[in-house]
Amino acid sequence: MKFGQVFKEALRNEGFPPEWISSAISYSQLKKCINRLTAELAQVGLDPVTLEKLLRHVEDYNKSAEASTADEEFRPFEYILSDGERGEGGKKKVFRPKLLFYVEEATGALHSAKLDKETREKLQMLAVETGMSDLRVYEEEESDGKGGAADGKESNGHANGNGARSHSPSLCAIEVPLTSDTEFFTKLTTQLSSLEALQLKEEKRMHTEIEDLGRQIARFTDPDRKANKKLLAVWRQIFQLYLEEAVFFGTTERDHSAHGAEKATTRFNEFCVKIKETGLVGKIKKREQMEALETFMHINKEILQGLRFGEINHTAMSKILKKFDKRTALSIKPHLPPTLTYPQFSQHLAKAVCAEVNTQILSHVPQIDDYSCPMCMDIKWRPVKLGCGHTFCIRCLIVMQTRKQNRCPLCREKCVEKANSDNLDLELADFLKKWFPEEVRQKQKYNELMAGVDAYGEVYKEKCAVM
Amino acid sequence: MAALPKRIVKETERLSKEPVPGISAVPHDDNLRYFDVTIDGPSQSPYEGGLFRLELFLPDDYPMTPPKVRFLTKIYHPNIDRLGRICLDVLKSNWSPALQIRTILLSIQALLGAPNPDDPLANDVAQAWKEDQSKAIETAKQWTAQHAARPTA
Ligand SMILES: [Zn+2]
Ligand SMILES: [Zn+2]
Repeated sequence: MKFGQVFKEALRNEGFPPEWISSAISYSQLKKCINRLTAELAQVGLDPVTLEKLLRHVEDYNKSAEASTADEEFRPFEYILSDGERGEGGKKKVFRPKLLFYVEEATGALHSAKLDKETREKLQMLAVETGMSDLRVYEEEESDGKGGAADGKESNGHANGNGARSHSPSLCAIEVPLTSDTEFFTKLTTQLSSLEALQLKEEKRMHTEIEDLGRQIARFTDPDRKANKKLLAVWRQIFQLYLEEAVFFGTTERDHSAHGAEKATTRFNEFCVKIKETGLVGKIKKREQMEALETFMHINKEILQGLRFGEINHTAMSKILKKFDKRTALSIKPHLPPTLTYPQFSQHLAKAVCAEVNTQILSHVPQIDDYSCPMCMDIKWRPVKLGCGHTFCIRCLIVMQTRKQNRCPLCREKCVEKANSDNLDLELADFLKKWFPEEVRQKQKYNELMAGVDAYGEVYKEKCAVM
Repeated sequence: MAALPKRIVKETERLSKEPVPGISAVPHDDNLRYFDVTIDGPSQSPYEGGLFRLELFLPDDYPMTPPKVRFLTKIYHPNIDRLGRICLDVLKSNWSPALQIRTILLSIQALLGAPNPDDPLANDVAQAWKEDQSKAIETAKQWTAQHAARPTA
């Protein structure tokens, strides 16, 4: 299947909102522009094979024209891409590329061994037709606006290449009258900026959506409300699975990268399966909370859709530029000005929205991993803050003190022996009790058991187990 | 046998879920404190291309005391002796209970990439290393090819 078809079907069948579809790259319209452009070029005898041989270079917007190598034969054509940023009075001019060729000023003769007779005739006709005194004629030497008063664009663009050019100064440039290329770039620019506007709008909309959900989740999981007790743990586990799945961005030593739509979708689906299989979804019984979970899923689906939409548009743009080059031999793709580069639509939106999800939603439900003791990897209960500022559970520090290990395991400062009941972090203790009541209860039990073992030996453990 | 401490359970889980590149560590079914370890020889080192087997044991008072690690594969290295014992500060005086199996194995992998003959364990190897480094590296490469060849599947 041709890409145009694939793209069209993707837009139609993947459930994108109508507004997105109308902002998408209009691949088929751009393709029609290219067809018209090819026809315009053919009219003056410039089929891609011919033009490729004649084109000296495309003026690279991003760097000044390279000096052509000395042994290279004189090629009479150049294609100038200028996005009009240098327009007068700070006004942005429309992006308007120009295809120029050089003829001898006196005779209008076109020098190139590579021209066949027919094309040469056509071009010379064109030169004569255009009239060399016409505004479209470019002086090869710098001539500061002379004859350029009418639209002021003449000396722009190709002046910087002058030094490198060794051919006779009596050449002058003629513009091939093309309209479809300007049309092509105007369309593309418009579409890119509408894509960007759409992205901003979606980001704003989702921001509100996420903020609202965040407030809701905060209410459901407020540990001060008795009614929340059971569901707090459920929400926490759901978010923990979500974080572990690392849907949009890798979080391991190996993989820090942003995921593409396909990978992210797979991961998200795995997350959905997991919360169902572990029975977490079933545990949410209240309608209001069920709806919040649905909203959370919906937000994720929207990010996935945004990613996918961005990706297919990116592909469409890159394919259409490739087609442009292939059908015209104008080789613009590597030389586009910054206003015509693809606006990281997908990645940007996903990144912004994921950050929001983290700060607005996930942060309402603290995760146990952020409060585990670096030594036993269990919850830091009871938390003791050493002189160096590092916090461990009391059990681990008692063990260290018994063994006369004085250095903090994290920074090696000698502060373990000094620690006493003044070092208990009461504020953190309250926080842990509030958010992780079950984990605290279990750790408390374990600590007491181990204290018993310290006092009475291993026998204590066995006795306890029987009880 | 006493229940496995939470820490060991967590470390083992993470080692299998997010393995360190070039390193594997798998506990024995019948003794979860005893790990079969393999380390890939680091690229650009005389051990490149080799697959080194080690054993790692977590003593009862781990993490108060460091894991015990030993090379099973013969290796020509100034800081590893004939019995596979390793001279590495974090396995001895510089151990800290906040270090983990994965960090220790990473240090060992780094030691393969940067042999240190000034702090030797295998004195004869260290001596040879100091006297003629390129020859010592040659020998290390030969040993790698001879003893640490990957099993061809
Ligand atoms: Zn602890
Ligand atoms: Zn410290």
